[in-house]
Amino acid sequence: MTRREEILNKTREIIVESLPELEGREFNEDTVINTDTGVDSMGFTLIICRLEAAFNVRIPNRQWQKLSTVKDVVDAIEKRMPKA
Amino acid sequence: MRFSGFSELLSRPAGCTPDAPALRYAQGGVIRTCTFSGLHACVTARAEQLRGENKQAYGILADGSFDCVVEIFASVLSGRRTVLLSENAADDVLIEQVREAEVDSLWGDPELLELLKPALRKTAEGGAGKLLFFTSGTTSRAKAVVLSDASLMSSAYNGGALLPLDPADTLLCMLPLDHVFGFVCGLLWGLSCGACVALSRGARCYHEDCVFFRPTALSAVPALLGFLLKYRALNPELRLILIGAGGCPESILTAAKATDARVCFGYGLTETSSGVALSLGEGDPYAMTVCPDDTVTIADDGEVLIKAPTCMMLGYWRRPADTAEVLKDGVLHTGDLGVLDEAGRLRLTGRKKEMLVLSDGTKLYLPEYEQALSDALGGEAVCVLLVNDLPILVLEGEMRDTTPIWARIRPVLDARARNQQIRAIEFYEKPFPRTASGKIMRWAIQREREGL
Repeated sequence: MTRREEILNKTREIIVESLPELEGREFNEDTVINTDTGVDSMGFTLIICRLEAAFNVRIPNRQWQKLSTVKDVVDAIEKRMPKA
Repeated sequence: MRFSGFSELLSRPAGCTPDAPALRYAQGGVIRTCTFSGLHACVTARAEQLRGENKQAYGILADGSFDCVVEIFASVLSGRRTVLLSENAADDVLIEQVREAEVDSLWGDPELLELLKPALRKTAEGGAGKLLFFTSGTTSRAKAVVLSDASLMSSAYNGGALLPLDPADTLLCMLPLDHVFGFVCGLLWGLSCGACVALSRGARCYHEDCVFFRPTALSAVPALLGFLLKYRALNPELRLILIGAGGCPESILTAAKATDARVCFGYGLTETSSGVALSLGEGDPYAMTVCPDDTVTIADDGEVLIKAPTCMMLGYWRRPADTAEVLKDGVLHTGDLGVLDEAGRLRLTGRKKEMLVLSDGTKLYLPEYEQALSDALGGEAVCVLLVNDLPILVLEGEMRDTTPIWARIRPVLDARARNQQIRAIEFYEKPFPRTASGKIMRWAIQREREGL
């Protein structure tokens, strides 16, 4: 599994863990987190915090508003992880 | 207790109850406590430094920290005009706000200060005791409301008169201090009652802060409270929850009432230095008692009119025409619709203004948003409504495939903050109701949709 796939899987897992009602839903990199999952801004904050903890990275608060799709989130995490 | 301004708020308890805890905050994972005398000493020392810098107007990027609270009080005590800015606003919005408020000095995150430095003025007009709050929208129409430390303290008194806290209470301050509800009901309300105010560790810790600080009182916007309830993040010691700054969905209110805490709902505007009316946690939560310093009447068209001599804004900064439009003979024309019951309690019924208030307290100005959406759809007639506290797009005409519509409006949505993005598309299968001048009667569509 590539690192990107690992981040994507973890992102899916954390979204579902934070929003159990989404269990069984399909997620891909193009999924728009707001409209496709129904997560609100507070729920999104929690997801980002859990992802930060899982990957030991910190995405500046001011960047959060710019993260629209699952791909944006995965990119933001990957960019901040130490080079493999 | 009524205080004339920040100077008295800090000096009086420093003399009477010097060792009582004023602020609690986290530092290195440990809770620190600052007493009233300690806070007074910090603020007066910092105010002295600021006086020596010979600046007139101070923009403060409100991060909610202990240092930020000291900076705000010190700025006012030093005689600077104080402008509260959101550190989470978009870059272009912040630059515009710094220009609009004409500040000559800034405090906050060094990275942001670099960004904002070119927008600073070399000289600026002062204004002792004046504080500027931007109305909480994120568009070019956001205006700076000029308040004073006296009006803010009157507002805190109003809150404390109806919902008193006592020195044994801890009020958790989770809301941004650049928002007047957060500033008054998250900070001044607690301090003016002699209670301790715990300063949240920020958005990353929202889900853990209640358990960390063990507050007995909490002021929250509906979105935040809904989040805390959903993730069972409230602590058992909590005895009072004050909800404000936006319409609260029934589901959140019901869930909040299921806790052991007393749940109250507040109504106020930036222009009135926050609270005007509060429900007191008994009976109908939407029937609000008008605060002691305020008078509410209802105009013939249902608009809520407020007379609040001690709490009213001084005006919109550099916008006398806008001020005159809403403030007539000391009466604020709110743009909200409401009714008064036989006991004189206020109940809101809707909005007349072209603006929606989201459940996190931010305002969504509709004309420019709808214009952008309409442009993206080739000039189609559109209107934006709030349904279950989420913005939805309503299009005129019969139901059709929404996939190409989503694709066309996506760039408009992506340019907006997450909470402002359209969540659903609906169709209004007859011509939109319009005024004589052709404007879409959004409120009529909303009421029809709600079956009213």
